[in-house]
Amino acid sequence: MKNTIDAKYYNGQSSAPLKATVVLNDRTNEFHLQIAGEISFVWLLKDLQFEQYGHILEVRNTNYSDAILKIDDKYFSEKFYAAMKQNNSIDIHTRLLNLGLSKITAIAVCLLGLIVLAYFYVLPPIAEKTAALLPESFDNEIGNLFMDTFLRENNIDTTKTKYLEQFAAELDLKNRNPLRFTVVKSKEVNAFALPNGQIVVFSAILENMESFEELVALLGHEASHVNYRHSIKMLCRNLAGYMTVSLIFSDVNGVMALLADNAQRLHSLSYSRSFEQEADEQGLEILMNNMVDPNGMVKLFEQLVKKSDIYIPKIISSHPLTKERKENMHKIISETVYEIKSNDKLNSIFEYIKN
Amino acid sequence: MENLMTQNTNQKKNYDFEFFGKGSEYFAIMIVNWLLTLVTLGLYYPWARAKRLRYVYGQTALNNEHFHFAGTGKEMFRGFIKIILFYIAVMISYLVLLKVVKLPLLAILFLYLAFFAIIPFAIHGSFRYRMSRTSYRGIRFGYRGNRNEIVKKFFKWVFFTIITLGIYSAWLQMNIRKYTHQNIRYGDVEFSNNANGGDWLLLNLKGYFLTIITLGIYSFWWQSEIFAYYIDNMRMTKGEQRIKCSSTATGGGFFELLIVNFLITAFTLGFGKAWADMRTQKFIFDNVKMEGDINIDEIHQTEDEYTNAFGEDAMDFFEIDLA
Repeated sequence: MKNTIDAKYYNGQSSAPLKATVVLNDRTNEFHLQIAGEISFVWLLKDLQFEQYGHILEVRNTNYSDAILKIDDKYFSEKFYAAMKQNNSIDIHTRLLNLGLSKITAIAVCLLGLIVLAYFYVLPPIAEKTAALLPESFDNEIGNLFMDTFLRENNIDTTKTKYLEQFAAELDLKNRNPLRFTVVKSKEVNAFALPNGQIVVFSAILENMESFEELVALLGHEASHVNYRHSIKMLCRNLAGYMTVSLIFSDVNGVMALLADNAQRLHSLSYSRSFEQEADEQGLEILMNNMVDPNGMVKLFEQLVKKSDIYIPKIISSHPLTKERKENMHKIISETVYEIKSNDKLNSIFEYIKN
Repeated sequence: MENLMTQNTNQKKNYDFEFFGKGSEYFAIMIVNWLLTLVTLGLYYPWARAKRLRYVYGQTALNNEHFHFAGTGKEMFRGFIKIILFYIAVMISYLVLLKVVKLPLLAILFLYLAFFAIIPFAIHGSFRYRMSRTSYRGIRFGYRGNRNEIVKKFFKWVFFTIITLGIYSAWLQMNIRKYTHQNIRYGDVEFSNNANGGDWLLLNLKGYFLTIITLGIYSFWWQSEIFAYYIDNMRMTKGEQRIKCSSTATGGGFFELLIVNFLITAFTLGFGKAWADMRTQKFIFDNVKMEGDINIDEIHQTEDEYTNAFGEDAMDFFEIDLA
């Protein structure tokens, strides 16, 4: 290393550059400065901050933060960085930066990959555990909140609602909490279940049904969504997912907006594939337990698909794998021993609902 | 201690702005910022901001000497905590008015007023902090605006804006600009600004209508006029010496800058923003011309050190943008 380096010095009092000479002693971690051939003093490495512009080094002392020492010497610059590093005076940010763009990018890509993996494999079970911790009063509150606004915009068909209630009363839907049933007048082929046990059936979906087994299948499917708290689980999952995403983009204020948004769209909340499968299978079990032909579930799917020639009903569009689901139903039905009893009561109530 | 060049005090001086920032370097800073912010669950944010500002300031040079931003993450973090406390206090008062006192109308009015009233404080704090932490050749910038004065003026101008159904907002904007700029110091150099609301209104009306008539094409020329208006009205004086700023940007220049920036950003799914940002900074400093006779070797330190970052983060937190 060269003994003495020429440098430029700004004293923090005036903007005039002064000539200086510098000696770095890397054993004692000191900087010896001589300004304009007169004043000389010592800077300790631990007090220093620096900027690098190519070979040019700008050094500032935290004790006299306005003074600047400017050195244009490649060799000195490297030596200085090494001395600062040894002295633990380089923060994590600068250390990472000095790895070079390709290494930083590689680290970032790996971290992003880990987050994506966590998003798909770690988040869902955690979200479900969280949902399990939420009291059922939360389910009721959020369901009631949604139903209030929903009813403001939709009309209840009171007669059909009464028949639907009678129909459901004949069934064991394996529910732990009371379920409520409502028929609304709508041309939309749809039905949904709210976390408070409220099951809403649109009149158009009833008109498309040909047998009461299909209605049992529909109620069984929707009741299972309630029984297994699917909407609350999805809500937790979406929320956790959004939090992850907003963390990635360092944006925190959108979480509340998401909560509001999800609460407003409860009825079109699309469940995950596994939740749909669970509701299908539990719904099928309800059919069998009630000694109703389980093929009602298959017929329900077929009816819905057939009616979708012109437009795709929402209940199907959010469940894109209908064919796969139907095959799954066929498979379970063929593997299970079940008993069917004709049920005149259900059949006659169904006729009332249809007309 | 003798100045290296002290003669020729009344002669025209050369002022040469340069911006050296590189997209790849800025991108690396952004990624490291992102990594550390992620790992600390967001707590690193103020430090990340300090790093970013330090790079942008440091890559800006006048006559081959670099500017310096001395703000630290710690200062900005304290500022951030103050903002959070302010926010919590406002929300609590709002909820008390709403649920306990049961005056919903008053509660909402209070909420709006509280967030509105923070604006002049944020402007003041932000200028004060940002300027005091900026230096060049070891001489600090500073802001000498009076907080009570700008708060009073701000509400007066807002009142005029309301009673003129918004027309006065052109004066509101330019008056704030004038007030803040004329209180900026660089050592013993004083800044001033000649902007006025009337010119500003006309410039924007013209820009607005020509942009509509030309189906948007004129917007680049409008942008260049706005830029020129900002720059051309800036003056610096030191005793008898002065500097006048002027813009050399053209509508064509803005057209190229913005279209290429758009393409860079769009075709890289946003990752190219670092490069676009650096192009913008370079464009700005390439197009600011300063003429005058202030000798930048003879500036003296006059401003005190100041480290309260309240406004700095308030501007960011409430997404207020100072042009």
